[in-house]
Amino acid sequence: MNQRLLHTPEGVRDIYGKEYARKLEVENRLHSLIASYGYEDIQTPTFEYFDVFSKEIGTIPSKELYKFFDKEGNTLALRPDFTPSMARCAAKYFMEETHPIRFTYKGNTYVNTSNLQGKLKEVTQMGAELIGDASVEADGEMIALVVESLKKAGLQEFQVSIGQVEYFKGLCQEAGLDEETEMDLRACISGKNFFAAAELLKERNVSDPYRETLLKVADLFNSMTSLNDAKKLVHNERSLAAIERLEKLDEVLRLYGVADYVSYDLGMLSKYNYYTGVIFKAYTYGVGNAIITGGRYNTLLARFGKDAPAVGFAIVIDDLMEALARQKAQIPTGETLQVEYTPGNASVFASALSKAMELRAQGKCVSLIAKEN
Amino acid sequence: MKGNKMESKFNDERYLTFALGKGRLASKTLDIFEKIGITCEEMRDKSSRKLIFVNEELKMKFFLAKGPDVPTYVELGSADIGVVGYDTILEENRNVYEVLDLGFGKCRMCVCGPESAKDLLLHHERIRVASKYPNIAKDYFYNKKHQTVDIIKLNGSVELGPLVQLSDVIVDIVETGSTLRENGLGVLEEVCPLSARMIVNPVSMQMEKARIRELVMKIRAYLESENQENK
Repeated sequence: MNQRLLHTPEGVRDIYGKEYARKLEVENRLHSLIASYGYEDIQTPTFEYFDVFSKEIGTIPSKELYKFFDKEGNTLALRPDFTPSMARCAAKYFMEETHPIRFTYKGNTYVNTSNLQGKLKEVTQMGAELIGDASVEADGEMIALVVESLKKAGLQEFQVSIGQVEYFKGLCQEAGLDEETEMDLRACISGKNFFAAAELLKERNVSDPYRETLLKVADLFNSMTSLNDAKKLVHNERSLAAIERLEKLDEVLRLYGVADYVSYDLGMLSKYNYYTGVIFKAYTYGVGNAIITGGRYNTLLARFGKDAPAVGFAIVIDDLMEALARQKAQIPTGETLQVEYTPGNASVFASALSKAMELRAQGKCVSLIAKEN
Repeated sequence: MKGNKMESKFNDERYLTFALGKGRLASKTLDIFEKIGITCEEMRDKSSRKLIFVNEELKMKFFLAKGPDVPTYVELGSADIGVVGYDTILEENRNVYEVLDLGFGKCRMCVCGPESAKDLLLHHERIRVASKYPNIAKDYFYNKKHQTVDIIKLNGSVELGPLVQLSDVIVDIVETGSTLRENGLGVLEEVCPLSARMIVNPVSMQMEKARIRELVMKIRAYLESENQENK
C-alpha cells in the first residue's frame, strides 16, 4: 500500500462520521433560520476570473489566492470569500431589479496561507447578503440574524462587536490625510497597534488635535466607552453621521431583542476594503479569531455595473464547530438502526427487508447488516 | 463599550492565560506584575519542572515559551496575553493586538557589517544578507530600500557571516555593539528600535475586555510613574 496516497495536503482535511453529522446538523439549523427570513439559496462557481477577487475589489492580498490558468491563458482564482461573487450575480441577473434581493449561500472557500501555522486553507462558509436596501433596518436584520444564528447553533457565550468604517474615514478626511497614510494607519488600527499608529502619525507630520483624536481611535483602552464619548471626539459631518447611524441601529437591535449581545468598537476596521458603513464581528471562546464577519458594502456592486447598496455576513462553519466542540455543546445527530439478515436465505431477507422498509417509511435511518449463521 | 453585563457574566470561572518569552523577558515581566499586585511564586522557583503555573486567587495561568512561539500561542488563542520582543512580533507577523510597550529590553534591529560593505547598500546592488530574522530582513530590503538581496537564514552567531564570507552584511539585534566591534564589524543602518511588548488575542480582547483593560491600565500607570521617577 502506498502510504503517501493516504495523506491530504496541509491545510485541508477529511470530515466524516459523527463530526460531519454534527456539521451538517448545524448547517441545517442555520440554513433554515436564514431561509425563514426570506433569503433565497444561490450557488456560484468555486473558481472565477481572477479579476472578481482582485485588489480593486478589495478582498485578500493576491498572493493568498489560489490562482491558475485556463486553456486560453485567463487567470482564474478559487474563491477566498463569497461576497464578490454575490455582487457579481446580483449585477448580472438582477440589473433592473429595484426591490431588495436576499441571497444565502453555503460552500467552501480557499485561502493560500502560510504553512505550519495551524490554519485551515479550505473552510466552509455560510452567509447571507441583502442587496438593494440601504436602510438601518437592513443593518439591524443582518446583526439580528448573526445573533440568532449563533444561538441556533447552540452557543451561549458570544459577543458581537459593531464598528462603523465611516467614522474613521471621516476623521482621516478631517485631518487631511493622504490615501497612503490612511491605508497605513488603517493597518495599524485594525491590528490595534497603538505604537505603530503613533509612530506613523509623527512620521507623516499629522498636526495635533487630529493626531490625538486618531490615536484615541487606535487605543483600545481609552476613556471612549460609549457612542456618546465617540461623538464628542469628532467635529466632521461624516463621522457624526456614522455615530448617528449606530444610535439608530441600536434602537433597531432593541426591537429585535438582541441589543444585549452587541457592543460598539469604533476602532474596528476590516482587512476587506470593500466595506463602506457598519461592520461587525462575532467572537466566542475556543477559537482564536472571529467566527462571523460582515458589514455594509455600498460601492462594491457598482464595480460590477449595478449601483446598489448591500449588507451581508459570513459564518465560518469550521470555526463555529470548533468553538462548539471546545465549549462542549451538545449537538444531537440522528441515530441509525440496524436490521440483520442472513445472506442466501430468501425468506429471512424478505422479512428483514420489509421491516427495514417499514421503519424507513416512518422516517427512521436503517441499515441492513449481513450476519452469517 | 456596552455589554459589561455580558463580560461579568462570562468571566467568573475563566482563567486568563499568559505566555511569557523565556529568560530575562519573563523575569522582568514578573517584576512588573509583582509591582501591580500579581504574583506567581511558583514561577520564580528555578528548580520547578512544572510547565504551567497557576494563581488561583486571581484566576491566572502562566507558562514560559520560546520567544518565537509566543505570538503563535496568542494568535491561536492558547494564551490570551503574551509578552515578547518586538523583533519576534515583526518576524512572526501574526494576527495579534499589540497593546503595550513594556519599555524594557530596549535595543535596535540593524544592518551590520564591515565598514567596506557600506558602499554595497547605496546602489540597489544584489548582495547576500545573513540573518536570524529573514522576514524582517526581507521586508527592510525589498519594501524600504528596494534592493534585491539573497537572504540566508542562520540560527545564531550571525556575526560570523561577513567574517567567513558567507554574506556581505547581516541583519541582527544590536544592544551595546561590543560583539560587533570586537570582530571588526559595525552598525551600517538602523532598521527599527525594539523593546518588549504585550500582545493580546483579538477574541480574548472582546470576550475578556474588562479584565484585560484593568490589567493594561494598571501596568500603564506603573510604567508612567517609573518614567516620572527616572526624570
